[in-house]
Amino acid sequence: MFAKLKKKIAEETAVSQRPGGATRLPRTVSKESVASMGADSGDDFASDGSSSREDLSSQLLRRNEQIRKLEARLSDYAEQVRNHQKIKEKLEIALEKHQDFSMRKFQEQNETFQANRAKMAEGLTLALARKDQEWSEKVDQLEKEKRFLTAQLQEMQNQSLNLFQKRDEMDELKGFQQQELSKVKHLLLKKEESLGKMEQELEAQTRELSHTQEELMISNQMSSDLRQKLEELQRRCSALEEQRDHVTASKTGAENKITALEHKERELQAFIQQLSTDLQRVTAEAQEKDKLITHLQEKVKSLEKQLEQNLSGEERAQELLKEKTAAEHTLESTRQQLLAARSMQAPAVGILETQVKELEQAVQASEEELKQSRGIIASQEAQIQALLSPVFLQSSANEEIRCAQQQALTVQQQCTERVYTLEAQIAALEGARGAAETATEHKTRALQQENRALSQSRDECERSLQHHQLELQKLKEEWSQREIVSVAMAQALEEVRKGREELQQQAANLTALNEVQEQRLQEKTEVILQKEQEIVQLKQGHDSALLQMRQLQSELEALRNLRAEEPVEEQGLALAVSESHVTLKARKDRKYQFSAAEGTPNGKVGTMDLGQLQKEKQGLEQQLTEKNKIIKQMQQRMLELKKTLQKELKIRPDNELFEVREKPGPEMASLAPSVTSTADLTDAREINFEYLKHVVLKFMSCRESEAFHLIKAVSVLLNFSPEEENMLKETLEYKMSWFGSKPAPKGSIRPSISNPRIPWS
Amino acid sequence: MGIFGCGFFSSIFSSLFGTREMRILILGLDGAGKTTILYRLQVGEVVTTIPTIGFNVETVTYKNLKFQVWDLGGQTSIRPYWRCYYSNTDAVIYVVDSCDRDRIGISKSELLAMLEEEELRKSILVVFANKQDMEQAMTPSEMANSLGLPALKDRKWQIFKTSATKGTGLDEAMEWLVETLKSRQ
Repeated sequence: MFAKLKKKIAEETAVSQRPGGATRLPRTVSKESVASMGADSGDDFASDGSSSREDLSSQLLRRNEQIRKLEARLSDYAEQVRNHQKIKEKLEIALEKHQDFSMRKFQEQNETFQANRAKMAEGLTLALARKDQEWSEKVDQLEKEKRFLTAQLQEMQNQSLNLFQKRDEMDELKGFQQQELSKVKHLLLKKEESLGKMEQELEAQTRELSHTQEELMISNQMSSDLRQKLEELQRRCSALEEQRDHVTASKTGAENKITALEHKERELQAFIQQLSTDLQRVTAEAQEKDKLITHLQEKVKSLEKQLEQNLSGEERAQELLKEKTAAEHTLESTRQQLLAARSMQAPAVGILETQVKELEQAVQASEEELKQSRGIIASQEAQIQALLSPVFLQSSANEEIRCAQQQALTVQQQCTERVYTLEAQIAALEGARGAAETATEHKTRALQQENRALSQSRDECERSLQHHQLELQKLKEEWSQREIVSVAMAQALEEVRKGREELQQQAANLTALNEVQEQRLQEKTEVILQKEQEIVQLKQGHDSALLQMRQLQSELEALRNLRAEEPVEEQGLALAVSESHVTLKARKDRKYQFSAAEGTPNGKVGTMDLGQLQKEKQGLEQQLTEKNKIIKQMQQRMLELKKTLQKELKIRPDNELFEVREKPGPEMASLAPSVTSTADLTDAREINFEYLKHVVLKFMSCRESEAFHLIKAVSVLLNFSPEEENMLKETLEYKMSWFGSKPAPKGSIRPSISNPRIPWS
Repeated sequence: MGIFGCGFFSSIFSSLFGTREMRILILGLDGAGKTTILYRLQVGEVVTTIPTIGFNVETVTYKNLKFQVWDLGGQTSIRPYWRCYYSNTDAVIYVVDSCDRDRIGISKSELLAMLEEEELRKSILVVFANKQDMEQAMTPSEMANSLGLPALKDRKWQIFKTSATKGTGLDEAMEWLVETLKSRQ
């Protein structure tokens, strides 16, 4: 305290000194005066710098005077200081007095304040305690109301929980739908895969088709080539046939010629016969003529004798005789020649008869020659006849005869030569013809063979062509079937897609419904929030009521004070208090009524919403059942499609048999959960085999206690009969137990002894 | 005293002849984590597993109780063979993948089909809401509702949220199972 006071004092002094700056000012003025005085002295000193000692002494004197003056001033200052100190002391005393006074006042005020405060506090606490009791009752009432409200809130929460549960159910439904959708998608994907496979197969078949078409083209080309070859061969054949015809024509010509020649030969033979007859006649005539000649010779001899007798014209006679002898010689030679010719002609004519047939021209020529010779012979005969009559003519006739005979001989020789040449030519021609015929025959045979071969090859080609065409038709038919199937598949796929789209739409609808429900939920929550806000408002009302209470308390206090002051007005105040209570109660009642009025409509709204929700739920359940039906229909469709697919793909019967065999027992089939889809049976086969392997391995390797549990699995997997299963159990029990006898093996495990049933069917 | 004596004698008997091991089946859809849970229970480690075509059987000792735990493969084609293992089963641990919301319906129908079996009438059901370490995992209550567990009657069941890879929740579940099995005896 004192420190504070000192501080305050110091501050006060500082404050007092600051205004006392005016008192200081004269001091500063005095300082300035001193300085000015010093400055004056300095000026004096500077002026007197160059003075003498007298000056110095005078200066000293001056200084001493100055010092004295300064001392006087100092003493003055000391007095002033003393005065100031006195004033200061006085001021301090006054300050202390003032402080003491103020402290006292302060303490007194403090005490009075505390006393007042304590009194106030006591009064207030008393009043508060009473008011608290009253208000606590009211608070209890409010709490009851609050409980009622909380109960309502809990109901609302329950409703909201129900809503949540419904939402969960909706989620579940959604999950189911998603599952179904995923299944459908899965199936769709499988279908699409199978379609892709089908398309691939189709492509492969189209490739094969194109390949076969190419082959067909090649075969067509080959066939066309063969046709061309065939045509060529036919042309050759026709040419050969023409040649043959030509040859045959030539042959017929030759034959005709031959026949003509034969005719001519016959004619010639006839002619020759005539000639021979003529010759015989001629010879006969010649013999007659010879006889005549001899007769004539005799006549001539007689005549000669007569001539000799006649000596006239001897010389002519001799010459005539000579000529006659010569003619006789020539005649004889010609006769001889004729004879030789006849002898020669007979075989030659025979040969000619057999051989000379065709030479017409030669024969004609010979005929002509013969005619000529005949003519000659006729002329010779005429000459001979002429000779016969005249002797001289005879010799010329004989000579002519000879000439004619010679000519005939030469002609005959020529004829024979020609006949020979003709014969040779004919033989050569015949040989050539035979050779040509044989050659043509060979050629024709070869050509016929070639023709046959070609026709065979053509037939083969035609057959292959027909085969190819058939194949093509088949392929086309297959193609059309495949196309139909693919179209059906596409249609089915489209249907499936449509179904999927419908499902998606339904899902969208469901989600929309969900959203609507969620909106409703939100609305509900909003309603709840509103109610909570209302509760908050109620609480605020409660708080305001409390505030009013407090105000009333304060009023009460005031009234109590008044009562304390004026006990006469107590009754009136009490009445006022009771009135205030009454008003408060009325207010509370109002509030209660208000809350009650609020509560009932909310409840109604809740029930209404519940009904709506139930209706929606029913609608959703109906939709779900409908969707389930749709899904079943889709599954049936998918199964049908699968069947058609299997038919299309012509699945090997082995697989089906295997599947049938691999199916677990009838009880398994009946008890198998419906969830396990039958679509994965193909994979299931392999997995089942692996499973069987694993189980059997474990059964053989694990402990007996574990193996005992595996008996059923093993017997189900291996399709054991009940007695076989029991046998296994007994044997295992025997192995596990310490005592007991080994079970006798039954017939079923000894198939070689008795075979009541075949386990490995 | 009588109960104690009985337990004592049974313990001696079991020490001599081997107790009747508790037989537990671990069932559930494929990929739910059955094999991982089995080996987590047996060796306490996370092993790398392949899809079980068949089953795994291991002896697990927990709180002086021996369990013969059968982990049966959950693939669709071999699910029908579960029923071969139902006889004398004390408890079924049904494992469900908490993230596989698509197949929870299949899981539910398999579970219900299983629980309808006469041989499993007295067995206890423990549902493991597995893979809880994953995001978007279903809560146990959500899963219980979607599996229809609250509708089960005459069945002692409990659901636990587990994570086989993290090892969480398995101890509580086994604790509950042991207590329930002991109380049933």
